[in-house]
Amino acid sequence: MSALPLASPRPSRSTTTPRRHLEVAPTRAARLARPKLLPAIVTISGIGVILLAQLLLSIVLADGAYTIAGLQTEQRDLQRQEQALTEQLEVLSSTQNLTANAEHLGMVASGNPVFLDVSTGAVSGDPTAAGGSLTGTSGNQIGNSLLTESTLVDPVPTAGAGASSSAEDSPASGGSATPGASTPGTIPSPTTR
Amino acid sequence: MTHSRLTARRLALTLFAVFAVVGVFVVKLVDIQVVRAGELTAAAEARRSSEVTVWGDRGEIVDANGTVLADSVDRFDITASPKSVKDTTEMTVDGEQVVVPTTEAVAKIAEITGAPAADLYAALTADPASDFTYLVKSVTLETFTKVFDLDIAWVYSELRPSRTYPRGAIAGNLVGFLGTDGPLAGTEYQWDECLAPTQGTSRYERGADGVRLPGSLVVEQEAVDGGTVHLTIDSDLQWFAQQQLAQQGTALGADWGTAMVVRVATGEIVVAADWPSIDPNDLDSVSAENSGARIFTAPFEPGSIMKPVAFAALLDNGLITPTTPLTIPNSYTPPGSSENVTDSFPANNARWTATGVLMNSSNIGTVMLSEKLTPQQKYDYFRAFGFGDPTAAGFLGEDGGIVRPPSETSYDTATLATQMFGQGITATSAQMASLYQTLGNGGVRMPLTLVSGCEQPDGTWTDVPVPSGERVVSEYAADTTLQMMETVASQGSLRNVISIPGYRIAAKTGTGEVAENGHYGSERIVSLATVFPAESPEYAIVVTLGKPDTMKFSGAAAPVANAIMEQVIKTFRITPSTEPAPSLPLTW
Repeated sequence: MSALPLASPRPSRSTTTPRRHLEVAPTRAARLARPKLLPAIVTISGIGVILLAQLLLSIVLADGAYTIAGLQTEQRDLQRQEQALTEQLEVLSSTQNLTANAEHLGMVASGNPVFLDVSTGAVSGDPTAAGGSLTGTSGNQIGNSLLTESTLVDPVPTAGAGASSSAEDSPASGGSATPGASTPGTIPSPTTR
Repeated sequence: MTHSRLTARRLALTLFAVFAVVGVFVVKLVDIQVVRAGELTAAAEARRSSEVTVWGDRGEIVDANGTVLADSVDRFDITASPKSVKDTTEMTVDGEQVVVPTTEAVAKIAEITGAPAADLYAALTADPASDFTYLVKSVTLETFTKVFDLDIAWVYSELRPSRTYPRGAIAGNLVGFLGTDGPLAGTEYQWDECLAPTQGTSRYERGADGVRLPGSLVVEQEAVDGGTVHLTIDSDLQWFAQQQLAQQGTALGADWGTAMVVRVATGEIVVAADWPSIDPNDLDSVSAENSGARIFTAPFEPGSIMKPVAFAALLDNGLITPTTPLTIPNSYTPPGSSENVTDSFPANNARWTATGVLMNSSNIGTVMLSEKLTPQQKYDYFRAFGFGDPTAAGFLGEDGGIVRPPSETSYDTATLATQMFGQGITATSAQMASLYQTLGNGGVRMPLTLVSGCEQPDGTWTDVPVPSGERVVSEYAADTTLQMMETVASQGSLRNVISIPGYRIAAKTGTGEVAENGHYGSERIVSLATVFPAESPEYAIVVTLGKPDTMKFSGAAAPVANAIMEQVIKTFRITPSTEPAPSLPLTW
């Protein structure tokens, strides 16, 4: 019995100081596994950025698709327009139209051709005066049903335009009035390329 | 005991039901994902994607100078959806959107297109439930744009590739035309393989507004435009020849006329004119019988323009010279024949040389001289000159004419004699031109060419003819025949009409009788053939007028040939002859 107090040499810790809260120290792996705020923010905002970029990209692509469609329509329209104008030009440049216009402007068929041999200076051919109509008295007989409306050019404004343009061109025509230097026996030729 | 058995049975039943339902799902899944996968995917794609035809243009037909004779153009069919048509229609007039009664909108379309409003209204009301009807077909871009600027919701359009012939009736006989389902005549038909485009397709997915979904192009097959067919003709000269034929033909009441100009050295056809000629833009412009190219397809008995064959053959065999003497009676019965040969005017025992016989175009003299040739020789020379076969021009429906073989002429002695002056034998104008090309080219027959090739869209040429000449008679025979023919232009009765000052011209007249109902009547087919300049020939011309009413001899064709020669001289800058013609005696 007397040994009883001896049996407890150390007083109980719980009675003297409050019991310390103990934890298992986290291992390195456990420490790493613990959620961290920064990487989470980076990842989520990264995904957000990618989604946003994808959205923008598809908006741009869709916009591009509309641009392409618009340009293709424009190209088609322009091609059609070009074709329609070519068609008009071909009809206007038809022999029937040119003949009618030439005669309307008072042009006549040329006479017999006369040839000058430049190396010998000899003239061959039997010259006749120009005159007469290419289509004769009966007019053009070779029809063209595409020439439905009158395409005759009015000579008066054409003559006016010709006069004004020749006035503008006078320095150039003055230049060409000076003959190029030539040596006898050869044909004078312009030096323009 | 009974209780647990009941539980087990209930469990089994439940399990069975679960497996049955899962089994049904599995079967359906396999069906959708494996068995019908292709079909369903295609159906889904068809919902989103659409196939668009990409049209290639049909190729052009151009002349030797690149002048376009046939071209492809866009036309538009204006269509409508009758089921979308309500009593009122929204449309844009002068940039302002207005709501008008539908009748007014229809009237507006009618005003723009020129189609009767009643027809348009009938088309719209014929089947109000339908989604498609044609309103106006084949309008030009200008009209099409005006209609679409109205912005009417129920109006749609379709592209209709069409054909235009900017030169109208010029060379219309050669170019041919297209029907609604494809080419019907001429070069359009014969060269369809070169001209026809290959249609392409473009297949992509698209959104509700018809815009392609980005990156969804599924298939694309590029359209390939058709190639360009290059003709050897000169369209301005062709016009001139047609014009001359039309003037003279109308003046003389002829039924038809043809004119061909061939470049002697190459056999290229520069002019192949027919009168009347179709305007391919307007298929009703001439009657059906005149819508083709008679010059290639209608053989006739040519008459005396065939005589140079006899003379060239005789010269080639050394059987005559230009001065071989002959006395021409008023009537002559070839040996073994019961029929008389006569001339257009009695010769009264004239003492003509072979040249005189040709110049005076004596049938009797030609028959007498030709007796030196055997029937086989005559046949062989005709065939060698190209008679009996279509020419190498290869025009659609070209005819080769008829040459009687020796097996027939051995008992048909009349034909054996008459074929030497062009009766009892038939030939087309093209074959006659080929004969004169051969004589002008020193006896070498070049194959006639009408098409110089097909230019593919990538710039390469195909079907380019490789001309290889064939010698028919010796150069001496050909040149001498031409010299003898020069007397026709210098001393014959038509000399004032044919001759051109400064130029040596070899010419031959022809007045063919036309067999109708088995015997020759009063109708004539008159021709004039020329080769010039005679000393070094460049062009051969054959002009023919069919059945003229007021002037039934070759004088009718002479002014046309003369005018064409003058125009050829101007066009191709042919210099005058420098040497005088040899003087061959006509009489002895």
